[in-house]
Amino acid sequence: MDYVLLLQRIFDALFNSAIYSSLALALVIIFRSTGLLNFAQGEMATFTAYIAFVLLSGPQPRLTGGGLAGLIPGVPFSIPLAIAGAVICGMLVGAATERALIRPLGGASDLALVNITIGLLLATNSLMAQWWGTGPRFFPSIFPTGAGQHFMILGARLRYSTVGVWAILLSVLVLLVLLLRHTRAGLAFRAVSISPSNAELVGVRVGPTLMYGWALASGFGALAACLSANSVLLEPSMMLRVLVYAFAAATLGGLDSPKGALVGGLIIGLSQTLIPAYVPFIGFELSVLPALVAMVVILLIRPAGLFGTKRIERV
Amino acid sequence: MVVPEHRVSRLSAFGIAALGAALIVIPFLSSTTGLRQTSQIIVSVLAVLGVNIATGYGGMISLGHGVFVGVGAFATGYYVSDLSLPWLVAIVLGAATAGVFGALAGLPALRIRGIHLALVTLGLAIVFRPLSKRFPSITGGVSGRSIEARFDAPGWWPGDSRMASSVYRYLFCVLIVLLALWATWNVVNSRFGRSMRALRDNPTAAAVYGVDLISARVTTFALSAALAGLCGALQVVLVPFVSQDKFPAQESLIIYASAVVGGLGTIWGSVLGVLARTVVGKLGEVAAEFDGLGPVGEFFSLLDDSAFVFGFGLILLTFLFPRGLAGIRRRGGITQ
Repeated sequence: MDYVLLLQRIFDALFNSAIYSSLALALVIIFRSTGLLNFAQGEMATFTAYIAFVLLSGPQPRLTGGGLAGLIPGVPFSIPLAIAGAVICGMLVGAATERALIRPLGGASDLALVNITIGLLLATNSLMAQWWGTGPRFFPSIFPTGAGQHFMILGARLRYSTVGVWAILLSVLVLLVLLLRHTRAGLAFRAVSISPSNAELVGVRVGPTLMYGWALASGFGALAACLSANSVLLEPSMMLRVLVYAFAAATLGGLDSPKGALVGGLIIGLSQTLIPAYVPFIGFELSVLPALVAMVVILLIRPAGLFGTKRIERV
Repeated sequence: MVVPEHRVSRLSAFGIAALGAALIVIPFLSSTTGLRQTSQIIVSVLAVLGVNIATGYGGMISLGHGVFVGVGAFATGYYVSDLSLPWLVAIVLGAATAGVFGALAGLPALRIRGIHLALVTLGLAIVFRPLSKRFPSITGGVSGRSIEARFDAPGWWPGDSRMASSVYRYLFCVLIVLLALWATWNVVNSRFGRSMRALRDNPTAAAVYGVDLISARVTTFALSAALAGLCGALQVVLVPFVSQDKFPAQESLIIYASAVVGGLGTIWGSVLGVLARTVVGKLGEVAAEFDGLGPVGEFFSLLDDSAFVFGFGLILLTFLFPRGLAGIRRRGGITQ
């Protein structure tokens, strides 16, 4: 076995792992607080990546799609600023979605929640296709990605972009933990995700807290989309497959465990690269199959995942 | 919802009469292309009906029925061209193959419920295209394959023009769809149909009353997949060409959306869902003519895309009419 090649594949996989982890985090934050799987998370994230794309390209109606042409600032943004703008937009969209579509339903059936998120997925996807076309677009990377831009470790190349994306993910995570542990809003959020009714009794305003949760989650989603748009190319359905990986990661780690999302993302990212490399039948194109199988198996034998809380039902 | 719908209301009777009249008049008014498109629309009722059986009657959310349409189409193409089976046998076997796949896919549904099942079926819908590319001898790989066998009118059929053949195919599809609707209506109003609905409304109570949960769930899923597979088989009858790019994940989602928008839990709803999809598509085509109206035209051009309208409609209907178009007159929540 070629160990340098193996190490190289692991390094390559780490980039995707970070993307899956952050999208899985978005899914977990929402599932934990609202109890729904947000199928539209990927499309919402892609939408914000298009916003970043528009901010980057400046006032070119050809690229921006008619609807947003009037809102474009005169000067193109730099890449970090554009991504920051997209993340803020994503947070606003997330908060608005919770307020306008989820809260009025007030804990409706699974079916209604699936309908809302699938509706959002379809509508957002075709809106993006209408405004920006279905063709893939080049999205610049925030990190240097040229030929020599990597560290050499034991003969394998670790790209700066991989290190960078993990640095961003981990620092945002540290911020998140600080926010949850040391602020009033964080305390309220933790209380609501454990028990909304009890939290309400002690005076926490549940609605706005959930809205912050959605904003946070969609921020993570936006980050995932903007950081991966360079490697998967920006197009309306780019996050659909990524969403399966992220759901598999979240399921594997436990749908209500942020730590699980991180670990799950790491495992799914590694298996996505390593399984096709060593199992010829799977190949690159079918790499989504092991993720799906993993998801089904986990749901069948251990629905709580690796780190999730086990739900006990009274009969 | 437990009361069986044996009585046909006046409105439904009127609707059935209007649809019947339309079905008879259409062949006299359309070209061969128009007739083929109409047939395809009629055939798509079956896929929506399949989702309706699984989700509306069985309470198992399926976002992946496009997969079973695909399996039905690929299988029928394989039986009729590689095994040179007669068309009727190939169609029945194609639907049955989809049913078997459905039973297998339904196995996880024994333990995975609600929103998690939606997740798994969505994953299935996404993985189907790359998976089918892996079996090029059956599916034609990336570019698809055309089926050499043609579904032509037999000798006794009057006329041998292309139009006569089109009419023959059209009538065949209409007949099969009507038969399937009738059979489904009977199934959902049978003893099995009642246990299916009992299972949806309260699994524990259903089990206490002696419903075999495992066989009922698997059968329901297999039945719903077989209906979708029949849709795929008839698609091959109409256009002898199968290709993986006819079955993207979005197609599965639109089938699901049609079922919900039309109305879950009534047979009539599936027909309404397809009608709605057709009307929206036609409106979109008309609206696309109005280019250059500024923001108004831009809004109308969005209507051109049925995915947008259905996404939007799904959200709107969930709030306004949770029972879908078929249930507009009976407002109220979904019994789930």
